[in-house]
Amino acid sequence: MKARRALQALLLCGVVVACLLAPTWAHAADLTVWHAYRGAEEAALREAVDRFAEGRGHRVRLVSVSFGVYDSKLETAIPRGNGPDLFIAAQGNLGKWRRMGLLVPAGDVSGEHRDPAIEALTEGGELWGQPLAFKSLMLIYDPEVIDTPPRTTDELLALSAALTEDGRYGLVYEAGTPFYHAPWMHGFGGAAIDEMGEPTLDTRAQVDALTFAAELAALMPTAPSADRVSSLYTEGRAAMIIDGPWRVADLGRRVAAAPLPLVSPTGEPARPYLTVEAAFVAARGQDPEAAAELASFLSGVDGAQIRQEVGRQAVTASRVVPSDPILQVQLDQAARSEPLPTDPEVQSAWEGLARALRQVLRGTVLPDRAMAAAQQHATVLRRPPPPPANPWPYGIVLALLALAGLGALGYRLRDPDLRRRMLVHAPDYLWIAPAGLAMVVLVVVPFLTGAAVALFAHHQGEWSFVGLAHFIDILLARDWPITSPMSFGFTLVVTVLWTVSNVTLHVVIGVALAMLLREPWVGLRGVWRALLILPWAVPNYITALIWRSLFDAQVGAINAILGLLLLRGEALQIDWFSSFATGFAANLTTNTWLGFPFMMVVTLGALQSIPRDLEEAAEVDGAGAWQRFRHVTWPMLMPALLPAMILGSVWTFNMFNVIYLVSAGEPDGSTEILISEAYRWAFSRGNRYGYAAAYAVLIFLVLLFYSRLANRLAGRKVL
Amino acid sequence: MAGVTLNGLYKRYGSTSVLEGIDLDVEDGEYIVLVGPSGCGKSTLLRCIAGLEEITAGTLEIGGRRVNDLSPRARNVAMVFQSYALYPHMTVRRNMGFALEVARRPKAEIREAVEDVAAMLDLVPLLDRLPGQLSGGQRQRVAMGRAIVRRPDVFLFDEPLSNLDASLRHHMRVELKHLHRRLQTTVFHVTHDQVEALTLADRIVVLHQGVVQQVGTPRELFDRPANTFVGTFIGSPSMALLPAVGAGGTVRIDGLEGELELPGEGAMTLGLRPTDIEVGRGPLRGQIEVIESLGAEALLHLDLGPDRKLVAQVPEPCQAQPGEVVSLLPRVVHRFHAETGERLP
Ligand SMILES: Nc1ncnc2c1ncn2[C@@H]1O[C@H](COP(=O)(O)OP(=O)(O)O)[C@@H](O)[C@H]1O
Ligand SMILES: [Mg+2]
Repeated sequence: MKARRALQALLLCGVVVACLLAPTWAHAADLTVWHAYRGAEEAALREAVDRFAEGRGHRVRLVSVSFGVYDSKLETAIPRGNGPDLFIAAQGNLGKWRRMGLLVPAGDVSGEHRDPAIEALTEGGELWGQPLAFKSLMLIYDPEVIDTPPRTTDELLALSAALTEDGRYGLVYEAGTPFYHAPWMHGFGGAAIDEMGEPTLDTRAQVDALTFAAELAALMPTAPSADRVSSLYTEGRAAMIIDGPWRVADLGRRVAAAPLPLVSPTGEPARPYLTVEAAFVAARGQDPEAAAELASFLSGVDGAQIRQEVGRQAVTASRVVPSDPILQVQLDQAARSEPLPTDPEVQSAWEGLARALRQVLRGTVLPDRAMAAAQQHATVLRRPPPPPANPWPYGIVLALLALAGLGALGYRLRDPDLRRRMLVHAPDYLWIAPAGLAMVVLVVVPFLTGAAVALFAHHQGEWSFVGLAHFIDILLARDWPITSPMSFGFTLVVTVLWTVSNVTLHVVIGVALAMLLREPWVGLRGVWRALLILPWAVPNYITALIWRSLFDAQVGAINAILGLLLLRGEALQIDWFSSFATGFAANLTTNTWLGFPFMMVVTLGALQSIPRDLEEAAEVDGAGAWQRFRHVTWPMLMPALLPAMILGSVWTFNMFNVIYLVSAGEPDGSTEILISEAYRWAFSRGNRYGYAAAYAVLIFLVLLFYSRLANRLAGRKVL
Repeated sequence: MAGVTLNGLYKRYGSTSVLEGIDLDVEDGEYIVLVGPSGCGKSTLLRCIAGLEEITAGTLEIGGRRVNDLSPRARNVAMVFQSYALYPHMTVRRNMGFALEVARRPKAEIREAVEDVAAMLDLVPLLDRLPGQLSGGQRQRVAMGRAIVRRPDVFLFDEPLSNLDASLRHHMRVELKHLHRRLQTTVFHVTHDQVEALTLADRIVVLHQGVVQQVGTPRELFDRPANTFVGTFIGSPSMALLPAVGAGGTVRIDGLEGELELPGEGAMTLGLRPTDIEVGRGPLRGQIEVIESLGAEALLHLDLGPDRKLVAQVPEPCQAQPGEVVSLLPRVVHRFHAETGERLP
């Protein structure tokens, strides 16, 4: 999942270009429809749209947009008038989009729909999209193993325990993810947030649900990923899984499905989150009326029929009769589900809940303690932005600074010699103008913009000027104790530790290998050199993904190799991302793999310039191998290595990819570094861009200070 | 302090043979100069003694101890490289004391030893400079000093003076001689400059293509060169070689008039040094082509006949004119075997 996200980040550039081209498309067709469907669902949509177009003489253009960038693309394109006329999306972002003005009310309901389709799409007394289909988790089981699926959680536990043995499992699901935990949370009577949007994570029901999840997880491999869940099912090693209809096509085995069981202690059904997919008419479209007609058609009986037959969707239209048992189960499950909250505040609950889940499943924290911490986490994240500040003092300071700058410039220009030289060299300034302009546009402007953003707070689509409040909050650790992984101080210490240990390892390994490659007895030198440079040549996110899977607790090669080396006869079961030390070590290993070739190449180059007879002289002087290295080779490598080390430490300090893709901050965000923490604030904690920008400014200041310090230590200007 | 013995020493790199059976017996305190043209294996021999190169075959003894398999540090030899190989990041003081430093000798002892030697070599004012801040001659002296501080058993000098200008080289030659007299340590000094060899050596070893041509005092080498190679290599301007045939107590140079009264029968090669030729009388005749004045003497380049050239050294002032034909008398003639080039008895 994270892997896909990283790739999609790369695609973002392409999407930006696509956005710029979007107006051209809009003129080429009467109606533009965006969707993120694939395979059968895409085919169904195409067929339905064609049917609609035949009848009306409209021309409709379907644009498939990658799922990972779908929301951000909508949010940037529609306000600029580059968006679609109609788009298909889940209702989860309805509240946010409505507030951002991306939507036009859908008008009348298109025929009859099953509950809670209409309710989920209604806000402020108006319908905002035409409902299409339901999607939610359900119980998928292997009909060859299970005759009657469990109807209560007690039965589920008993059946799961009975079927779990010898590497086979009764039930497997992505237990560490809040979305997959939600059915128990709701079934035990809990909810992520209340009607006011306040997090409700520390209730009795929440603790009970978590305790139950831990019982289930005890019968499962530790923290299985989505891929692991489906491969276990495919291999016939999992009798039941909890997953959505989107997974069924990948399983490659016969499946049967049932609604999730009743929670025994409460007698309530386990209610998963329900996604209601709908067709939304976009604001600023070319032809909102035609778009609304198309939406009604897709949603209505004719469109629904096609979507059910071709796309295998569980359609909301109640006049369409489900054509197979799995579709029926999906409809039944939809009737006992919880519509995914449209309130953006729910985001603030996820991170804390996810951490609590993983802590409890790992067995490191008791459920009540974990949920209390999660509640506190969510409360802090939900806290409104700092109060608006008076911009005048800042404006005055800025103006004074600008004046002082101009004054200093003017003072220097009073020097007639300087003026004369500037005149003489006037044509030269023209030559560097293009590069200078590029620097201003690509470096100075983004930097100043970023720094300015740090003075503003972004909260639910609205910006307010808050001055230095973010910096004060961050530096004084107002929200978290300094010992919490969420605090700037903690992350700074981790980042420094990360940088120092990486650069040390890179230099030690790089220099050692370079020295080794120079030994006369080493054959095939060119081959070795090429092989050792290879890790550097591979894009680092690919390497990071590979290492991530090598460190996998169940199927990773590292555990298998360690098991072999320690003669255990089987793979070890170390969950590398369950403690700071091992998670950090995994990150460190990955980045060392990525980083040593650079130091090796620099050293190889520097060694070329050290005359061989210096080392021979030392040898005749009686110096042993270590003394020769220590007193002769190393000091002579320093002039080349020092700038490389400083450069390497700046790279490492900001090595986002490895942290994000390997440990992803696990456990509990403790292995996060400043840059990845800034990312979290910007993109997974309610888009606090201002707060994230303040992190970025602080990172810049730390590195600025470091480069000054490095110059001083080196006794010369190296950076 | 120690003598050095080389016994059938071979050095090969793969299939190329650089040293081919070197036998040499050096007494303690001797100043040995290794000469030979560039590429003949002088440096290789020195590096074999230092332990920087592995010896392919044969034995090397220092102070009566077989050291073939000992590391350089265990041989207690000091080397001065042609490039001087001073550690550029260390001061002169640390450069000179480095060997004692890695041997973990007490600081005070190192300081004293370095300062003693620095005083001996006039290096005291330079002690805290870096090598980059020294002139070529000063660097050369620091390299010497670094070798001396250790009080090694053997000094190995690889063309130590070749990077100096002529006057400095002369000065340092004298200084080296002086130092050797004071220290009385065995020295192997490599050079391709025969003047250096003649002035410094107790004994000279002439090396050619990895084979020792002759070992002897400068006098012996000059007076009785063992073969045409040594004859031409030692002495400046160098000896002229002329093919000749002997019969019944006289020898005639091929293609020329005039006979020399010398023993020997059949084909041979005659070696004539410019300093041994008297101009104005004698059996040979030659026309002066060029006169080269060296101040105190002049060199007459003489054409004796087709392909027969000779140089004669005469005192200045010289009355002869180019084009003039003069009589010549070789006072000393070296006779060599026509094919092998070996000296004839
Ligand atoms: N490492 C080596 N590998 C192969 N041949 C070498 C090596 N070192 C020296 N030689 C050869 O050995 C011969 C003698 O070299 P050297 O001892 O440096 O000559 P010099 O008398 O000029 O000091 C040269 O022909 C050189 O090419
Ligand atoms: Mg040499």
